[in-house]
Amino acid sequence: MTPPLALVAELTYRCPLRCGYCSNPTSWRDHADALAAADWSRVFAEAAALGVLHVHLSGGEPLLRADLESIVASARDAGLYVNLITSAWGLERARLERLVDAGVDHVQISVQDLDASAADVLAGVEVHARKLLACGWVREAGAALSLNAVLHRANIDQTAGFIDLAERVGAERLELANTQYHGSARVNREALMPTREQVARNADVAAEARVRLRGRCEVIWVMPDWFADLPSPCNDGWGRRFITVTPDGVALPCAGAQVFPDLARDRVLARPLREIWYEGRDFNRYRGTAWMREPCVSCARRDEDFGGCRCQAFALTGDGAEADPACAKSPQHALISAARLSGRAQPAPVVYRIDARRGR
Amino acid sequence: MTDDANAPRLARRVRLRADPARGGHVLLFPEGVLVLNESAAEVLALVDGARTLRRIADELAQRHGAPDPSVVLDDVRALLERLGARGFVEGVGAAP
Repeated sequence: MTPPLALVAELTYRCPLRCGYCSNPTSWRDHADALAAADWSRVFAEAAALGVLHVHLSGGEPLLRADLESIVASARDAGLYVNLITSAWGLERARLERLVDAGVDHVQISVQDLDASAADVLAGVEVHARKLLACGWVREAGAALSLNAVLHRANIDQTAGFIDLAERVGAERLELANTQYHGSARVNREALMPTREQVARNADVAAEARVRLRGRCEVIWVMPDWFADLPSPCNDGWGRRFITVTPDGVALPCAGAQVFPDLARDRVLARPLREIWYEGRDFNRYRGTAWMREPCVSCARRDEDFGGCRCQAFALTGDGAEADPACAKSPQHALISAARLSGRAQPAPVVYRIDARRGR
Repeated sequence: MTDDANAPRLARRVRLRADPARGGHVLLFPEGVLVLNESAAEVLALVDGARTLRRIADELAQRHGAPDPSVVLDDVRALLERLGARGFVEGVGAAP
C-alpha cells in the first residue's frame, strides 16, 4: 500500500453552468458545502503529511466559494501544488491575481465550444467570452494554464480548433477529455455519445498535434474507453493515488464512487485522513487485486488497468467486482457495443445537468 | 560564454520540494511529478536565478572534491538542458 499523490477537493457542487456532461452526482443538490475554510486547511495538512503532493480544487465551481482565497492559501501553506479547476464564470482580473498571489500554481479552464453562442448554449449560461479573457489574465499573472475541452458528439469535430485555441491563448496543456459517463453524463449518454468515425478521426488529429506541439503545448487525448475495447486504468487504480473529498466532507477513492449505495462514507471531520486512506472500508474495497474474479484475475493486464473503472462496472452491471464492461473480455461487453450505436450521425439534442431532486 | 553569463532558474510553474513520505526530492508541475535522483536534486537546489552555470558547477565540484571541475560543468549543463527542453528550467543554453 502506497501513500496517495493527489487530493481532489470538491469545494462545492453548486455551479452556474449546466453542462449536460457534468460528472457530479445527479443528487448534487443534497450535498451541502459542509467544510469551512478551516476544515479544508486541516484536510490539506493531513493530506500533505500523508504524502499528497498535488491538490485539485474542483467542484462544481470553486469560484462560488467566497473563502476560496483562504482555502488556496492554506493549500499552499501545506506545501501542495495548487491546481484550480474552473469555468471562469464571473471571474475578474483582480480576483484571479489575488488567487495566484495566494498560491494557485496552475489554472485549468474549461471550454465548451469554439463558437461563443454555441458554447453558451452548451453551458446554459453566458460564459465563453469570459473564459478567453481569463486565459490572458492567468498567463499575465504567471500561473500555468491548461484548457480542458470535454468532448461529445456536438463538439468533438472541433478538436483541431480546440488545439488552435490552446496555442493562441498560450495554454501549456490541452486536455481533450472525451466524456466519461458518470453523473449527468450517464443519464444524457445517448445525446452525448459520438460516433466511432468521429472518435477515430479526431484521435488522429490530436495525435498529430501532440507531436507537432511537443515542448510548447502538451496535448492530452483522453480516449473514450467505450471505444477502446480496453478499459482505462481508472484513477491509476482504486485507492492507489487519489483521494477525493466531497463538499459534504466524505473521503472517497474517486468522485464517481458515490454511485455505490453501501459505502462507509468516512467523513474527514470525524476520522483522520491517514486512517481513512489505510484502513477505511471504502478505500480498501477494490484496492489491489484480491477482489478480482474472472476475467480480471487471470488477465495479463490486471496490474496495468486494474480491471478498469469500478464505478462504471457497478453502474452497468450492478456489481462493482465485475470486469469493466468497457473491456472486450467482459461478458457484459455487449452493453457497451450497444450503447455505441446510440452515437448517430445526427445533431445531438442539447442536454443539461440533471437535478435529481427536481426530477430533471 | 554562456556558462558564465546564464543564471538558470526554475520555471515559475515548477516547484522543487522534498518528498518526505516517499523520500528524496521531486519537481512538481501541472498534473505531474518528476522524481529526482540525489545529484539532480543537489544541482536544482542551487538553481536560483542568481548563480551562473559555472558557479553551480564550481560549488558542487568543491563540495565533492572533484578533481576535474569541467566534468562537473558538463554534467550540470547536460542535466539543465534536458530539464530546459521540458520547460522546467529557464535561462540555460544560448537563448536567454
